[in-house]
Amino acid sequence: MRRAALATGAVVVVGWPWAAPPYFVFLASLIAVNAIVAIGLNLLSGYTNQLSFGHAGFLAIGAYAAAILTIRAPALPVPVALLLAGLVTGAVGLALGVPCLRLEGLYLAMATLAFGFVVVEAILNLDGLTRGNDGLHVPAARLGPWSLATDTARYYLVVAVAALLIAAAVNISRTRTGRALLAVRESEIAAQASGVNLAAYKTLAFVVSAFYTGVAGGLFALVVGFVSPDSFDVFLSVDFVAMIIVGGLGSILGSVIGAAVITTLNDSLAGFQNYRPLIFGAILVTSMLFMPGGIASALRRIPGAGAWPLFTRRDDR
Amino acid sequence: MTWVSLVHVVVSGLATGSIYALMAIALVIVYNATRTLNFAQGEMLMVSTFVGWTAMQVLQAPLIVALAVAVIAAALLGFVLERVVIRHAISATHFDVLIITLGLSLMLRSAAGVTWTHDEFPFPSFFSNRPLMVGPLRVAPISLGIIGASLGMMLALGALFRWTRLGRAMRAVAQNQRAARLMGISVERVYSSSWMIAAVVGAVAGVLIAPVIFLSSKMGLVAINGFTAAVLGGFGSMPGAVVGGMLLGVLENLAPLYLPASIKHSVPFLVMITILIVRPGGVLGRVARRKV
Repeated sequence: MRRAALATGAVVVVGWPWAAPPYFVFLASLIAVNAIVAIGLNLLSGYTNQLSFGHAGFLAIGAYAAAILTIRAPALPVPVALLLAGLVTGAVGLALGVPCLRLEGLYLAMATLAFGFVVVEAILNLDGLTRGNDGLHVPAARLGPWSLATDTARYYLVVAVAALLIAAAVNISRTRTGRALLAVRESEIAAQASGVNLAAYKTLAFVVSAFYTGVAGGLFALVVGFVSPDSFDVFLSVDFVAMIIVGGLGSILGSVIGAAVITTLNDSLAGFQNYRPLIFGAILVTSMLFMPGGIASALRRIPGAGAWPLFTRRDDR
Repeated sequence: MTWVSLVHVVVSGLATGSIYALMAIALVIVYNATRTLNFAQGEMLMVSTFVGWTAMQVLQAPLIVALAVAVIAAALLGFVLERVVIRHAISATHFDVLIITLGLSLMLRSAAGVTWTHDEFPFPSFFSNRPLMVGPLRVAPISLGIIGASLGMMLALGALFRWTRLGRAMRAVAQNQRAARLMGISVERVYSSSWMIAAVVGAVAGVLIAPVIFLSSKMGLVAINGFTAAVLGGFGSMPGAVVGGMLLGVLENLAPLYLPASIKHSVPFLVMITILIVRPGGVLGRVARRKV
């Protein structure tokens, strides 16, 4: 059952560029990029209960790092550029995560929100590097002999990286580290009493989350081909939070579902810009009131689904 | 820089600071009752100011009517939001309620955009904009007016908390909800009143500040500075909120004189991050230790 589902999923994902028109290939790439961010955010918020409203800031750092690397060092292979983007963002995550150890709940939420604003202001002010408001055009990156100039090529790159990071996240969630993070979420005091080093694990969650988002930022720069401060406003951070709320806090499959739902919704509402936040707000409110575990938790109630480890549990409150 | 222009900068800083202080108080009132940070506070301010402005336009009425309508609209909005949405999430975690108020803020802003467009509208003021000369000093009456009106509002709130039955009930609930309930206080009524009072404070702040920053769907962002102000003074404390607001307003106006001008917009956020990291209890307060 599980193998069959995974195989079907893999066939659909690999075959998608042949079946779908180019625009939908691009959209699928965006979904995969957002899924990586959602997983990163979920490791921090859903698993460790550290709420962040600043992930658009991390995404911006990753995107600009990759864009600048691609422009200044065109010979650099894509995986290296992405890895560097992730590492730079992870380092920023460390720099933000350590002082944020002192904060919890809404204070942390507000500090990360402020971080998001400061990143955008910093991008605007560092115009020697980022060209400020004008943004940067990102040339097609090269991977060995291939130039990633088509939507399909970029799609496969994004999907490959996403698959790798999903597998890594599933593994993290099942190991000692993952259990420690869950313990921190359930009760910091109990976790500490059981020998979980709170500071270390919270910082780790911050760094891993930032790394994921940084890599996603690099992919975002390559997929969209253009980065500018406008793309990374606070509402993007809210979108990411919406993804993990709708998909399911503390669930990796939920993150992917949430990313797919919110990205598709965003795209289909593009013609109704004025109503978009209205609908988004309504989704946030109703899913919090009536479906606190998100889609993943609703799916978990289907018989047999509980055996699937992707549905990492988050006890329904 | 001369001390004359310094006074000018400080006075206008105190004026914006009073608005931040009012927003901080509104946030703290809601927080003390429902233990929720209301992300929609700024949007409630914006919507009620818009409603007041519309009434003024439609009725061709003086500004005082706009204020009255804004206050009534705010009280109504606060009541409805608390009763219809927040009350149902009373057993939910902070995280969940935070997300709910965030959703509400998106909805309110978008609804305002649909109703009134996202343009900026000029808003009349009770106070003249022509500078007043006091010896060598130039001060704007609008700044003094905002400061005076805000201080009046704060005194009224202080009296409410100190001397009325409702105020005492609100303080009791802030201290210990269970004990308050056992003493026969209707905690639900305190929730309702807190949301309404906070909304009204916001509406007054909105009518005061709209002439300065224009009336627009974006004006709710002032609530973020209100939060910074509240944290600066120690979140949960009313006098702290006032001090924090004034301090932030002055800092924000002074910073561009000594730092690159482009940094002005980042000042509140940098202040927020710094204060959260260095002194989470605020400049006046201390960190409350949570018992197991």
